[in-house]
Amino acid sequence: MTRYLARKVVIYLLTFFVAVTIDWAIPRFMPGDPIEGLLSRMKAQPGATEELTGYYSHAFGFDVPLWQQYLNFWAALLHGDLGRSIANFPTPVSELIMGALPYTLALLIPAILLSFWAGNKTGALAARRKVLDNTVLPASYVLTATPQMWLGIVLAWLFASTWAIFPVSGAYGLDVQPEWSLEFATSFLHHWILPFSALFLVAFGGWAIGMRNMIIYELESDYSNYLTALGAPSKLVRKYAYRNALLPQITGLALALGAVVAGAIVVEIVFSYPGLGTLTLSAIQNRDYFLIQGIFLFLITGVLIANFVIDLVYVVIDPRTRVGMQGGS
Amino acid sequence: MMATRRARGVGALVAMAALVAAIAALTAGGAGAGGQTAFALPRAQTLYISGNQWSPNVDLNPAKNWDYVTGLVGFAYETPFRYDPLSDKFIPWLASAGKWTSKTTYTMTVRSGVKWSDGQTMTPQDVKYSFDILKLATHPQHALWQDTGLKSTKVQGRNVVFTFGGTPGIQQFDFYRFNVAIVPQHVFQKYSKTEITTGNLSDPKKIVGTGPYAYESGVGASSETVVWKKRDGWWGTSALGLSVGPTYIVDIKNGTNAAALANLLRGNIDLFNNFAPKSAIRGQFKTYFDRAPYHLGANTTWLFPNTTKKPLDDKQFRRALANSINMGQIISKAYQGLVAKASPTGLLPIWDKWVDPKVVKQLGFSYSPGKAKAMLAAAGYKDTDGDGYVENKDGSAIDLKIVCPNGWSDWMTAIQVIADSAKAVGIKVTASFPEYSTLVDDRGHARYDLLLANDRQYSNTPWTYYQYIYQLPILDNQTTVNYERYTSPSAWSAVQALDKIPSSNTRAYQAVMSKLQRSFLQDLPAIPLWYNGMWSMVNTKYWTGWPSAQNGRFTPTSWRNYWQMTAIDMLTHLRPAKQS
Amino acid sequence: MPLTEPTQSGVALPAEAVADAARSGAQMAPAPGVPAAPRLHSELFYFAFRNWKFVLGSVVVLACVAIAIVGPWLTDHPPLAFDGPTDQPPSSEYWFGTTSYGQDVYSQFVHGLRAALLVGGLGGGIAWVLGVGVGFTAGYRGGWIDDVLNMLTNVVLVIPTLAILIIVAAYLQVQSYTTEAVIIGLTSWPWAARAVRSQTFSLKTREFVEVARLSGRSTRQVIATELAPNMSSYLLMTFILLFGGAILIGASLDFLGLGPSESISLGLMMNNAFLASALLLGSWWWFLPPGLGIVAIVGGLYVMNVGLDEVFNPKLREL
Repeated sequence: MTRYLARKVVIYLLTFFVAVTIDWAIPRFMPGDPIEGLLSRMKAQPGATEELTGYYSHAFGFDVPLWQQYLNFWAALLHGDLGRSIANFPTPVSELIMGALPYTLALLIPAILLSFWAGNKTGALAARRKVLDNTVLPASYVLTATPQMWLGIVLAWLFASTWAIFPVSGAYGLDVQPEWSLEFATSFLHHWILPFSALFLVAFGGWAIGMRNMIIYELESDYSNYLTALGAPSKLVRKYAYRNALLPQITGLALALGAVVAGAIVVEIVFSYPGLGTLTLSAIQNRDYFLIQGIFLFLITGVLIANFVIDLVYVVIDPRTRVGMQGGS
Repeated sequence: MMATRRARGVGALVAMAALVAAIAALTAGGAGAGGQTAFALPRAQTLYISGNQWSPNVDLNPAKNWDYVTGLVGFAYETPFRYDPLSDKFIPWLASAGKWTSKTTYTMTVRSGVKWSDGQTMTPQDVKYSFDILKLATHPQHALWQDTGLKSTKVQGRNVVFTFGGTPGIQQFDFYRFNVAIVPQHVFQKYSKTEITTGNLSDPKKIVGTGPYAYESGVGASSETVVWKKRDGWWGTSALGLSVGPTYIVDIKNGTNAAALANLLRGNIDLFNNFAPKSAIRGQFKTYFDRAPYHLGANTTWLFPNTTKKPLDDKQFRRALANSINMGQIISKAYQGLVAKASPTGLLPIWDKWVDPKVVKQLGFSYSPGKAKAMLAAAGYKDTDGDGYVENKDGSAIDLKIVCPNGWSDWMTAIQVIADSAKAVGIKVTASFPEYSTLVDDRGHARYDLLLANDRQYSNTPWTYYQYIYQLPILDNQTTVNYERYTSPSAWSAVQALDKIPSSNTRAYQAVMSKLQRSFLQDLPAIPLWYNGMWSMVNTKYWTGWPSAQNGRFTPTSWRNYWQMTAIDMLTHLRPAKQS
Repeated sequence: MPLTEPTQSGVALPAEAVADAARSGAQMAPAPGVPAAPRLHSELFYFAFRNWKFVLGSVVVLACVAIAIVGPWLTDHPPLAFDGPTDQPPSSEYWFGTTSYGQDVYSQFVHGLRAALLVGGLGGGIAWVLGVGVGFTAGYRGGWIDDVLNMLTNVVLVIPTLAILIIVAAYLQVQSYTTEAVIIGLTSWPWAARAVRSQTFSLKTREFVEVARLSGRSTRQVIATELAPNMSSYLLMTFILLFGGAILIGASLDFLGLGPSESISLGLMMNNAFLASALLLGSWWWFLPPGLGIVAIVGGLYVMNVGLDEVFNPKLREL
């Protein structure tokens, strides 16, 4: 098992290296000079631009050759320094990301976990009861085919604009500040529900359908039939079926992370939710290299870690992996 | 079964834990900035404003006048004078008086009895210091020391004397008289030079200003609102009998115009400086004018042609193009009537008194496709290959691209109308929407054909507009002026001459203005289109006394650099609306 | 019978789960099951057309295709022309009403459908070719080729697709749907590669494949004549899922304003409507149709897919 895990770690590290290199490279090759964008926004007087360009070039390390910039990037990265935002100089990138991250996590983590749990449960139930099967399943097909931002718009239109039950944008009300208080928590939750729902409903559909198929498959399999033939209560059979069906779903969870993150980006924009999605978009529009790199680094690292965690969970849950992996193949 | 039930419980627990953790993280982030415990502000005493802040609320440096948090200069820091653009008057503010005491010296009398918010007294030394730090080469307002001829500042009793070498750039210096924030030397001398010119000075506890408000809470990278609180001891009350209406001001950072509009319609915003569709102007929501164009014009939107490229280097072609533009359709389709057509001279309505009607009548342009076609033909542009579009005089095809930043939906509509109306007279123009940064880069390096821009706002002098059009020399990268790379030494020297004429010398001033207008309309280096609105919708439910065309003609906006015009007067005239 | 198949690089790849996670970049989708023994074609058709899900899905998709083809002929308003009254609800003149700028929503909708189908078909197709190619090669050849391809797959898989697409689209200034389809295709193939790879693993050990290999057939021949036909159902369903996925990713890109801006697509319609505060002004006719269009095509594809799955795997048929 240690070999299995060690192998995984090596793969993830290599993936991290390649991904980080790509992450560093792509923003560099975008057209548009970020410093000039900054100077233009500053409305710098013509005479001052040369001086300022030189100053900012040095401040951002653009005045050294590319290969050196790459090495500097790794050096800073290992110190946890993600550089300073170009558009919001001299605010550190990590500060901007840390400011936005809690909001994105507040949407993502509950959406991922709750949709996984609720979707799988519902799918399993639907596999047993025809009534549910005929309602949940078509609804799930529709949900999983729905673009998240459109669902966000529709929810906002219905529940925030037409019937003013929920707020239409923002993460908290205008008359509260982020702090440990009941007012803030209430306001936060009130604003959180619609964007969360947009993400949750779409993901829910997918899990429900997948689990339903898995359960049916399991219930038709040999061991199921064998157990039933032996006279085991159907509850027991279902219990084993559920556990077995859960395994591929967990792997699927790792693969679905990218999808949910993408969904979070567009939903955040619809609700002006101040998370990483909105930050990413403005970073790109401002050609803010360091901010873009920092955000993607976060995403890549987060997804890699999540993948690794899921691999670990999988090893714990599925004994066959431990058996099969000993000694390598 | 136990495992699944546990798994179920675990899943839900984890989700809830995540939510709690997120709130905790937010509080940790928020608690550092302000140290205010639970509050909900009293609605009747709070003014909610929106429309200025699009970037993170982290910049507290008054020198960075494109980026600092809303109201930093205005609420906390103040300037020696203020300027009323609608009546073209300077208002003594932190300076109680100022005049030219000789051809090359200006003497500014500093008001006495003004205290900083930390209790210390503001002295002329502070004023001198505030102007002196602009000497730093990387200071955003360094141009004061470079371009106006200013040589030195000196304190003499209650005065600060500005000494110039040679004829001073009066118009430019006047601009700085109401745009240099006066900062406390005893606080700023502790900052490094880099911090003063390019830093964020992001500790809000260190904001020490003379203005009517003090920082309350909200500065931070993820913060959506910044709160200011009225402070006692503002000099304006004792010296001028003024008092600001709102006790609290909350400035709201924008996500999108749509989000801001939603808040407005819910009654959460009092002063709305975002773009709002016309249908929103009704009931308790009012605008400066009660009929079209509803808003003051804040800046001219220009169509810049790249005059280094054929056929845009030909002034006849440019004039033909100008006559092809269907302004009426732009105004109705892109703006639903919320903007007004610009004067062919491009000058803002506040400078109407300098517009020479004879010149405009003789040389001005307007929407007339027939005339445009005739001008093209007369200038030698013909459609030789029968594709419906004219070609260059040397036979090569004319295929122009007009650009504006992606996402600026009103401009996107406008340039599509421009492209369509150009096509209608035979000029092939196609609209395209690159990203803002790419556009800025291309614009600076003349890698475009046609584009829209509207950088110059209200100011005390049309000199700023002519500098925008005519400034020489042309650099590798034109970051802020003369995007069209038009070279006319005679026009530029006229502009420089204008700088040196005091506006009080109306005869000389008008003479140069007429000359410039004539030259402009003959050559049309840029084509003025419409006046972009000073978007301002106000909610009359909680506050009353808002500026309007009939009553209190103040700039009704929270945009940067307007507080030191007459937006502060808006605040001193606001009163809580009586609840019926 | 184990559901999971440990592979040589130690990454457990249950085929169903991989397909379960469907498109990289958007949402979850129904899983194609493990293909059973090959069936006769005539038998398949019989079951296919008896399966109401397959029929319903196909009908919806075909209807959308028909609307996309014929729709633009039924209107003489160009989608981007500003010649109508602004903000009008549906009427006899403008069947889907007009936008805040006076454009015909119906015209935009049908042209947008065309763009969606182009992006889906081409993008999905490219992803399919890549994914299937990589999957077969890695699965059949094994060894270091497998390791290298697996590494490549992992890297492309882990990076959130939309994130990469945002950067690339902003860099490339995408001005045609073909370009958009190509870049979507180049980034959404990994899960298909993994799925095909694991299927290939399990089939590789079967006797008929061994026989073919021993008789000297080249890799390409073995893949083409032995493996592919036995996975045909799987390959078809993979394509359908990629098609739907590409449409959704394309819509997200367009919604962010990173797609072609000189023409119209369903995502761009939603973007325009959102920026113009249509949802606050109640202009439902502007933002509802594009989303419903996507739900119809993609949902139809998924339902079709599920129907096919049931056809190929009788175990999944209705209870």
